[in-house]
Amino acid sequence: MTPLVLALNLGLSFLGLTALCVSLPRHHGAVSAAVLALRRVVLLRLAGWTLIALSLLAAAALDGWNFGPVQWLGSLIGAGLMLIVALSYDPGAIRWLVLASVLGLVAAPAALLLDPSWRTESPEAGEEVPAPRHGGR
Amino acid sequence: MRHGFRQSMAWLHTWSGLIVGWVLFAVFVTGTASYYRAEISRWMQPELRREATIGPDALARAAELGVAHLQQHAAGARTWFIALPQPDRPLIDLFWRTKPGTPPGRAVLDARTGEPAALRETRGGDFFYRFHFELHLPPLWGRWIVGICAMIMLVALVSGVVTHRRIFADFFTLRRDKAAQRGWLDAHNVTGVLALPFHLMITYTGVVTLALIYMPWGVTVAYKGDQQAFFAESGQITQPRPAAGRPGALVPVGPMVREALATIPEPLERLTISHPRDAHATVVAVFEEPHGLSHEHPQIAFDGTSGAVLEVRRGGLQPAAKTFTTMVGLHEAHFAGPGLRLLFFLCGLMGSAMVATGLVLWTVARLPKEGRAPGLGWRLVHALNVGTVAGLPAAVAMMLLANRLLPAGLAGRAEWEVWAFFGTWLAVTLVALVPAPRRAWSGAMAFAAILFLAVAVADGLTTRALWDDPAWFLAFDAAMLALAAACALVARKVTRYVAPARGRRSPAEGRPMPAAQARTALQPVPAGREEAGRRFERA
Amino acid sequence: MTLRPSALADRLGRAAVLGRIVLAAGGGYAIAALATALLSLVLPLPRSEAVTAATLASFAIMIAVVVVVFAARSLGRALAAIAIATLLLGGALWLVAGPLTPVVPT
Repeated sequence: MTPLVLALNLGLSFLGLTALCVSLPRHHGAVSAAVLALRRVVLLRLAGWTLIALSLLAAAALDGWNFGPVQWLGSLIGAGLMLIVALSYDPGAIRWLVLASVLGLVAAPAALLLDPSWRTESPEAGEEVPAPRHGGR
Repeated sequence: MRHGFRQSMAWLHTWSGLIVGWVLFAVFVTGTASYYRAEISRWMQPELRREATIGPDALARAAELGVAHLQQHAAGARTWFIALPQPDRPLIDLFWRTKPGTPPGRAVLDARTGEPAALRETRGGDFFYRFHFELHLPPLWGRWIVGICAMIMLVALVSGVVTHRRIFADFFTLRRDKAAQRGWLDAHNVTGVLALPFHLMITYTGVVTLALIYMPWGVTVAYKGDQQAFFAESGQITQPRPAAGRPGALVPVGPMVREALATIPEPLERLTISHPRDAHATVVAVFEEPHGLSHEHPQIAFDGTSGAVLEVRRGGLQPAAKTFTTMVGLHEAHFAGPGLRLLFFLCGLMGSAMVATGLVLWTVARLPKEGRAPGLGWRLVHALNVGTVAGLPAAVAMMLLANRLLPAGLAGRAEWEVWAFFGTWLAVTLVALVPAPRRAWSGAMAFAAILFLAVAVADGLTTRALWDDPAWFLAFDAAMLALAAACALVARKVTRYVAPARGRRSPAEGRPMPAAQARTALQPVPAGREEAGRRFERA
Repeated sequence: MTLRPSALADRLGRAAVLGRIVLAAGGGYAIAALATALLSLVLPLPRSEAVTAATLASFAIMIAVVVVVFAARSLGRALAAIAIATLLLGGALWLVAGPLTPVVPT
């Protein structure tokens, strides 16, 4: 399940960080030509922090409070790296990444719901399932 | 000192970062490589054949073979360590300690026959892993140096956060269109701030991993310095049994292995046999960690002369001990699946980049004034920067290359690989003193790129016949090609970099350069376009 | 840093910096070590837990001391703060543990 959770996390983190980034006057122009009004700043910041919080909740709900936060921080850093590289080398790519994240966010829960195995495989039940060895091999 | 809290922190950050930067870069790079320690080891011994599963009978037999070899070759040893075959590494790794001061013994046996394994001799990924905290020095020296550097790194992180004025406003900012110094500062800030949780975590948990070497005083007062007693009482190891002083005979270990496997469902990793010829001989079966953040190996201790179970240790740690093992677990990241491990690896690269950009920033901020020769200090820092930041990756690549090119039967082959590593590192550092700084950087990075390319080519040419899983080896070689591309990209950027003029910046100059324009940058640069860049050229 | 940047002032400044480095390293380690020993004995936890908790915290304590030493307004103040903290911790440890006999690590 972890790769899907990771995809979900990356998507939420990326959208959240992008909202926060775009709320800054310096970077607003990278995605939009509109004027950055105060109302918009507040909305973007709110959306950004909410998405990041959702990412943490999703990670914790799906992977437990043990692994969840580690997954969450890792994906937050990974998404941040992606955003910064895109922002300074090819700002146009951000739109595509946002689109990919949204698609990922739709696809990941769908895959989670369609796959019946995760419902029985709660973190507590992990004892019976052979645990992934060092990196899953 | 200076004025105000922030200035003193800035001073502290600059100088504490500089004096340990080179060691930290090496520690970061080898530590990052250690996330793939098992993969590197496997690549460096392509003769190895993996097995699908290893059943309890095969494990029990392997343990008996290991003991038989040790009875014959290491009878006088204090402690025997028998790493049992795993599907990924179906070998018996033997290790034994005789007494303090004498070097430990090692042997690698074929798990089926018990004969020495027919593999090329190499240190494998373990070299990078041990270098990460011992720097290839006598262990205690290396660990103290790395520990001190890690503490200074923590100081630099804390003072860096204090120094950084606008963490949030600059969070996403990587300006490539301003002066060189600004760009390096942005890169340093971005790699430092973005992965700050990782940097703080990895540095603190790194110190904690070896905490009792650095800070033994709690054990000194509470346990009269008896670390074994402390570890046993906190539930991390089974109760140690001192030697009885009477001879005893070790009973066969096969039944113990079977009983251990029936008791704990994790894969059995190794046996530790202390005082093997004493009446108090103890056999401890150590298992892999159960899935979880915490670094906790379940263990079962057997009486070596009767085979009776003495103690079973699994879980149940108290909060502080659990915190300690979780910190160690977080540092090692054994729990991470492929995706998360890749993220840890990226964070490690960002840590390396943070140290590297900090080091480069020191020289860029102190470029000698126009028309003046740089001082000895500047030249030294510059050479060490090139030697470390570009020389270490080149050295890593050279070691992998040596692994493929040295004849398989060469005496002391593993040591030759290590020499290839250090020789390359030293050579790049010395050569970096000669040319102009910019050429030194691009030349050294290009050299590293060529070496990584050569690793992939050499693997394909010399070892293809040995690959047991071609897709796996091709993936590893693809990673080498990616590293080569990254080094080549840096070399190219350094060569073609043109600093925008300060002050009067037209929008066109601010944009990233189109390729055609960049190409002309190799030609003599029009006057006025270059400031920092030109000074860099001349220094 | 001073109104008259003479060579003497420069040299004094460097000496002060050197003093802070020595104080931060020596004082920081001394305070962290004393705090670890003291907490290992007085924390209301099982013995192994107290030692583990104290050892885990020791490195944060040392970092805090280093920051204080470099942030203090003058070397004298930093020295005074370190000296007082060391004496207090050392005194408390002496009260709790009694005069320590040197232990030979086994």
